[in-house]
Amino acid sequence: MFKTTRRTMMGLMAGAASLAIGVGAARAQDGDIVIGGSLPMTGVFGFAGVAVEAGMQDYIKIVNDQGGIGGRNLRLAYEDTAYKVDQSVAVFNKLTSQDEIHLYYGDSTGFAKTIAPELARSGEMIMGGASFASELNDPEAYPYIFMAGPDYSEMFGILLEYIAQETPGARLVLVNSDTEFGRDPIESTRAKAAELGLEIVEEIITAPGSVDVSTEVLKLRRARPDYTLFHGYVLSPLPEFMSQAKQLGLETKFMGTFWSMDSSLWEGVGEAADGFMGVMPYRYYYDDAENAPMMETIREMRPDYQATGYMQGFLSAMLMAESARRVLDNGEELNGKTLKAAMNTIEDFDTGGIMGVPISVPGNSVPVGRVYQFDASAGRMVAVSDWISLDKE
Amino acid sequence: MSDWLFFIEVSLAGLGSGALLSLTALAFVLIYKATQVVNLAVGEILMLGGYLFFAFAAGMGLSPWVAIPLAVIGGGIVGGIVERGIIRPMLGEAAISVFMVTVGLGSVLVGLVELIWGTDPRSLPNFIATAPLFLGEAYVSRKIAVAFVVAGIVVTVFLVLFRFWRGGVALRATATDQAAAYSCGINVPGVFSLAWIIGCATAAGAGVLLGAISGISPTMGIFGLSALVVVIVGGLDSILGALVGGLALGLIQSWTGTYLGGEYTSVVTFSLLIVALMIRPYGLFGTHEIERL
Amino acid sequence: MIIGTAKESYRADEALLTTKPQRVWMAIFLAFLVIVPFSVNDYWLYMVCLMTINVVAATGLNILTGFTGQVSLGQAAFMAVGAYTVAWMERDLGTPFLVNLVGAGLAAAALGIVVGIPSLRVKGLYLAIATIAASFILHFVFVHWESVTGGNTGINVAPARIPGMELTTYFQLYWVIMPVTIIMVVAAANIFRTRIGRAFIAIRDRDISAEVLGIPLLQYKLMSFAIASFYAGVAGGMWAYFFRVVTPESFPFMMSIFLLAAIIVGGMGTILGGVVGAVFMTITPELLRFVVEWVSPWVPNAGTLLSPVRTIVFGGLIIGFLVFEPQGLAEIIQRVRRFFRLWPFRT
Repeated sequence: MFKTTRRTMMGLMAGAASLAIGVGAARAQDGDIVIGGSLPMTGVFGFAGVAVEAGMQDYIKIVNDQGGIGGRNLRLAYEDTAYKVDQSVAVFNKLTSQDEIHLYYGDSTGFAKTIAPELARSGEMIMGGASFASELNDPEAYPYIFMAGPDYSEMFGILLEYIAQETPGARLVLVNSDTEFGRDPIESTRAKAAELGLEIVEEIITAPGSVDVSTEVLKLRRARPDYTLFHGYVLSPLPEFMSQAKQLGLETKFMGTFWSMDSSLWEGVGEAADGFMGVMPYRYYYDDAENAPMMETIREMRPDYQATGYMQGFLSAMLMAESARRVLDNGEELNGKTLKAAMNTIEDFDTGGIMGVPISVPGNSVPVGRVYQFDASAGRMVAVSDWISLDKE
Repeated sequence: MSDWLFFIEVSLAGLGSGALLSLTALAFVLIYKATQVVNLAVGEILMLGGYLFFAFAAGMGLSPWVAIPLAVIGGGIVGGIVERGIIRPMLGEAAISVFMVTVGLGSVLVGLVELIWGTDPRSLPNFIATAPLFLGEAYVSRKIAVAFVVAGIVVTVFLVLFRFWRGGVALRATATDQAAAYSCGINVPGVFSLAWIIGCATAAGAGVLLGAISGISPTMGIFGLSALVVVIVGGLDSILGALVGGLALGLIQSWTGTYLGGEYTSVVTFSLLIVALMIRPYGLFGTHEIERL
Repeated sequence: MIIGTAKESYRADEALLTTKPQRVWMAIFLAFLVIVPFSVNDYWLYMVCLMTINVVAATGLNILTGFTGQVSLGQAAFMAVGAYTVAWMERDLGTPFLVNLVGAGLAAAALGIVVGIPSLRVKGLYLAIATIAASFILHFVFVHWESVTGGNTGINVAPARIPGMELTTYFQLYWVIMPVTIIMVVAAANIFRTRIGRAFIAIRDRDISAEVLGIPLLQYKLMSFAIASFYAGVAGGMWAYFFRVVTPESFPFMMSIFLLAAIIVGGMGTILGGVVGAVFMTITPELLRFVVEWVSPWVPNAGTLLSPVRTIVFGGLIIGFLVFEPQGLAEIIQRVRRFFRLWPFRT
């Protein structure tokens, strides 16, 4: 019985080994600074991965056209993960055994948490990514991780600051999906709301994959909130929520966080999307503010609308490149420690208008954002607040 | 008083989503009744129905009223092909093998949809009016009401068909005893195909309704799992069971969602399933089979 | 050509490896397993470890489904139980990792017995659906029993330790995972040389007859559930040390389907089948990555094709094997082996 196991296994292993050797031989020796990426090009988060990749590639191109960093070109080496943790780890291992990698883009909270011990052990790189999980915003526990924007709690913080300013003492309803992503900011939001004198009148948790939201809308009607804050969703079931609430004549305003703020997603929804608000740390593609030269460059490079993920990828690459530049300027070696230290020296840094105010990275996050509102007739997100910076104590 | 009104509204919403469950459960029952196959790909066929509608209505710009029948027919064609292509060769294999074939089929369908339409969630063109509906004072979402009416009509039609139409009787005969049905001159393989075509067409139609309510995405096939709970509780071979089970589950889910919280719906659903299995393994309305050596 | 094997005792008849060539090849295979970690890079070592963990889980499922005929779609949930047990013991008790692994197995086994209880009343598909229900209920427990499971955030797992060293790299972990797996697989093969294993097979072939023959169905079915869950628990425990974080989303329902698919593709009811199936199903999607990479110069956006193609191939493999090769890869291997054994007299 076992005689033939050996045969198959040998075959597979031999194949594996030869592939590994072949791959090893192809290892780049060209002195590029490689940014690795476990990107979700497909799967539930595919829309984000594709946009992030485009954003990173564009910024890398800009840097390389200007002569790279210390004469070394940037290069993005990435593969698709389908937003699954085991595949993300596989990609991480594959890329790190092919190239010398000091900068990495990870696709999910689960992946960031899985790989964090490995980052700490090897001390070779810092990692940004698509996750804004509050848990990761802790330089003690996750020293080599950063996020190119506010974490989810901070996003809610920004929304609450805005609400407190517009409607003091407003009544809020939180609607969260029953996932790690969805439940992330609930605790901190309760505290922050109490601090700002806002009242949370109802917390609704929706089961993942639930189709009909009528019962939730009924709860909403009973609670009569001024604002309804969603988190843990990309699009569905928000449009149905909003159209049913409109049918019922509810006065509430609907708000979301970064990943549900893409303008083209809401354009597809049409009329029901009108008035949707939310926090977005970056400018939109079509934002032609004067002090944003980088937005101009982006529009030159890409004639068509680019999703929010594009800006996120763009800024992630920018922060990575800036950190690498500072490390090399100091004549230090690229590794996790030096890169993170360099990133934390970023202060009042001009992003060329990707973010509307000069940014600093005191810890793991960039707690800046702005509240936008969707205008269905124009098909655009319109800024309704100024840039709001949260100061971390 | 207002608490009562609230309760009634919640219950109405539950009945509405329960009707969708019934409709999907019907697809399971039709296929199981004729061929003794539990088709786990019903959820994926449902998703495919939604996407077909999307392709016809949004992609090709057809009127929704043309696109709906096309999507339903498309689902039926897929059902026919699947039956002839991979289910017929599995005739006589263990039930679990055929079940796993349908699991594989579901995976293939998801992959194909992702290849063709990508993985992004999409919304369907609106074809149901959005004006609110009030029963007395109680609010009902229009879409949910439409789903309820459609499901009600379809289930009634099937109940009538099984009673009076020749094909329906043939299907019942096949379900009772294949050999006897064969010797009475019933075209049993034909009945198999017919059941798959009708079952998958029903699922595709449910997919259009579901898509209209919550949008479509390649992962929406998970809805099939809830419908599976319905048929297990209601009885795999009972249309009435699908109807009653679906409405009951819809009500229960909506009550738990409201009074306990959304996170409790699946645990309550599946606990009920286990209790039902322990008490009546063949379902509330299902046929109790006696095993003989 | 081997004409036949003369057996002089019952012991010889029951042996796992009956001929000298088998023993020689087995030794070579084991030697090969020793060499592997020294000769491949981290990426392939990661894949090998992942494969090996899946082999344990699939072998467990094979005992339950392939040998006892009780279809379960809850194997991933039991892996989760094992992983959480390890994470909890590591965090709150700080016991040595081998103890934790055994604890993981036992905890999963205990739960397996509970989940197996419906098998008294229902069988076949209904049982499969009961196990689906059980895994969703367990998921709920993982999310809401926060004091133990850490809720949605899960638990970060400290590395496995032996005196003086923390096992953090894949290379170090390999030397834990691979031996444990070999022991578990050999143990599984040995079960079927005993009364218990034969009783399992009798139940699979016809449960009512088995009962007539004096096999207490309840006891043996539950035992089979316990053993299968024990395997899943140990696999989950190793998974926890391997990935170092356990969350409710770590073991999705899809994973149970994956494991069932693995034993179908490998061959139900043979130990070899579970092993080969798990290896094959783990490595195939990864190899598709190379195929996609290879065709990318000719196909635009090849990167975005990977996951749909994987999904299709996964489903296609299940359908293809069930329709054309219901005995799975193990049967193909047997055929190849027979060919060589009879060559050149029968071609």
